[in-house]
Amino acid sequence: MDLTRRHLGRVAVGGLLAAPFIRPASAQERSITLAAYSGIFQDNYHAAVVEPFMKAHPGIKVSYYAMPNSAQTLGTLRAQKAAPQIDVAIFDVTIGKAASDEGLLDPLTKEEFPVLAELAPAAFAPGVHAVGVTFDSLSLLYSPEVVKPAPTSWKVLWEKPYQGKIAITGAPDIVGIGLTLVINRLNGGTDYRQFDAGIKALSDLSPGVLSWEPKPDAYTFITNGTAALGVGWNARGQLYARQSGGKLAAALPEEGSLFQINTIGLVKGAPQSEAAKAYIRYALSAEAQKAFSERMFYAPVNTRADVSAEALAATAASPERMAKMLQVDWLEVAKIRDRMNDQWRRRILSRG
Amino acid sequence: MSATPRNLLPLLVLPAVAVNLFTFLWPMLNLAGLSFREGLPGGGIGAAFSLATWGDLLADEFYLEILLRSVGMALGITGLALLASYPIAFFVHRADARWRNLLVVACISPLLISAVVRTYGWLVILGDAGFLPVILRGLGFAPPRLVFNMTGVVIGLVEILMPYMILSLLAGFGRLNQTLEEAAASLGAPPLVVFWRIVLPLTLPGILLGCLLVFVLTVSSFITPKLLGGGRVLLLATEIYDQAIVTLNWPLAAALSLIALGVFGAALLVYGRISRAAERSIA
Repeated sequence: MDLTRRHLGRVAVGGLLAAPFIRPASAQERSITLAAYSGIFQDNYHAAVVEPFMKAHPGIKVSYYAMPNSAQTLGTLRAQKAAPQIDVAIFDVTIGKAASDEGLLDPLTKEEFPVLAELAPAAFAPGVHAVGVTFDSLSLLYSPEVVKPAPTSWKVLWEKPYQGKIAITGAPDIVGIGLTLVINRLNGGTDYRQFDAGIKALSDLSPGVLSWEPKPDAYTFITNGTAALGVGWNARGQLYARQSGGKLAAALPEEGSLFQINTIGLVKGAPQSEAAKAYIRYALSAEAQKAFSERMFYAPVNTRADVSAEALAATAASPERMAKMLQVDWLEVAKIRDRMNDQWRRRILSRG
Repeated sequence: MSATPRNLLPLLVLPAVAVNLFTFLWPMLNLAGLSFREGLPGGGIGAAFSLATWGDLLADEFYLEILLRSVGMALGITGLALLASYPIAFFVHRADARWRNLLVVACISPLLISAVVRTYGWLVILGDAGFLPVILRGLGFAPPRLVFNMTGVVIGLVEILMPYMILSLLAGFGRLNQTLEEAAASLGAPPLVVFWRIVLPLTLPGILLGCLLVFVLTVSSFITPKLLGGGRVLLLATEIYDQAIVTLNWPLAAALSLIALGVFGAALLVYGRISRAAERSIA
C-alpha cells in the first residue's frame, strides 16, 4: 500500500518537473478546428483537401468539426463568440453574410491572401467576410430504371406518369427556395424577385409530390425506390449516381439552373489564427480546388484549377451551361426568403 | 449548531431550487428576452428591443392556424391513444401475477427502440409499396394515401405514445378493486353500468395522467410529424424547428416556444381542475 503511494508521489513529482518541457513540445504542433458539413461532404473533403494539407504542413493538425448544416455552424459561432473554439468555418454564403454582420468573422485581405486574385468574381459578395470555396447547382434527380428516356428538362416533374413519385425538400430549405426561382424563370418570370409564376407552377405540382420533406434526403428516396424523381444538389447527386449502381442519376436540365455558393471564413478571435490562414490559403488554391472538384463534382472557385474534362462535364461550370444559369444574388434572395416561405406554406405545402 | 427539522427544510430544498433556477428558469428568461428582438434577413438578430416579432406573429393568421392544428391533433391523438391503450392496460392489470410483469415489459418494450426507427418502420408499412396498402389492394380496395399526410402522423404518433399511456393507466389503476365490481353486479348492475359507474371513476386518475402526458408529448413532437407528414403537416413544434434550424429566425422560434409553453401550462391547469373535481366526486 505504502509502496504504491510512494510510487504515485514519484510519478506526480516527475510530471511536475517535466511539465515545462512538455508544453513547448506540444505547442509546436498547432491544431486548428474546421467546422463544415457532415456526412458525404466530410468524407470527401477530408480526403481531398484536409489530408493533403496536413501532409504539406506537418506542424498543423486540422480537426474536422462536422455540422449537419450551415445554420448550426452559425449557431455554434454565436454561442462561442466570447471564446471561439472554431478557427475556420465553411457555410452557405447567406449564412456567411449573417456571420459577417454579427462580427463573427475576420475579413480576408488580398495582402494576406494572394490566392484571392485567382478566384472567380462570383466567389466574392459585398459585405461578406467569407469567400466562395465551392460552387454547386440544382440538378434534377431521377431513377434511370423508371424515368425513360433520361430527362433533359425540369418540365418532366409535371408529367403524368411521375405524379405521386416526386421527392423534393421544400422551403424553407434552400433547395425549395432555389427551385422556386428556377421554375419562376421557366414560367416566364423575368425578375427573380417577382417569383409568383414559380409559386403558381409549384402549387400545381404539389398534389403530385410524394413528400416535401423526404428524410434523410431526396437522393435516398430515389435510390431506395420510394420516389422516381426529385431535385437536389448536383455535386451530391453526381457522386451518389456513381455509387448507386444505376438507381439514381443527376441531370443538368437544358433550361439551366442556379448556383449555390459555399464560403470559407476566418473566425474572429480564432485560437490559431496563423495556422487557420494557412489552411484557408490552401483550401482556395488551384491544387485543392482541383482535387475536390474531381472527387465530388463541386465546380471550382479557383479559375486556375485544371479540373479534368470528365469531372468538369459533371458540373455546371462548362461555358455553355454557365450561360444558361440564372444569375442570382443570394443576399437579395435572403431578403425575399420570408415572403417566399409564406407563399410556400399558404399555396404549396397546404395543397395535396 | 442545532437545527430543528422545520428550519432545515428550506435549506434542503435550496440545491434543487438553485439547479432549477439555473437550468430551467434562466434559459426560459433568455428565450423570453430573445423573442423581444427582431429577426433580420439571413439569420441575424437585431440588437435592440423590438415588438416586431410578437406583432408579426399575432397579426398572422397562419400561426393561429398551426396553433389550433397542433392542439386539435394532440387532442385527437390523445383520445385515440387512450382508446387503444385502455383495454390493454386493463387486461395487463387483471392478468395473473405470474404473467403481469412480462406483459408490462412487452407493453413498454417499444420504448427500447428509438422513435425515429419506429417512425421509419411506419414508412415501410404505410408507404405505397408497404404491406398495408398491398394487402388492401389485394382485397380489391383502392387504399387512400396513408403516409406523407396527417393520417400518417396520427397513426405513427398514436403507436409511439401508447407505451406512455399504458404505463400511466397501470399506475393509476391501484384503486381498482374487483370486489366493488362484484358488489355492483350482485345488486343487478349490467356490465356497462358497472364499467361506467365503478371502473371508470376509479381509473380516472390514471386516465388523466396518461392524457396529460400524451398530449404534452404530442404537442412537442416534431421528428415523427416531419418524417410522416411529408412536409404538409405544419405544427407548432415543426415550425419552431424550422425557424430555429433552417431559417434561423431565432426570435420567432423563441416566441413560438413561449406559446408552446403556454399550451403546456393550460394543459396542466385543465388537468389540475379535472383531477380535483374527480377526487371530490369519488370521495
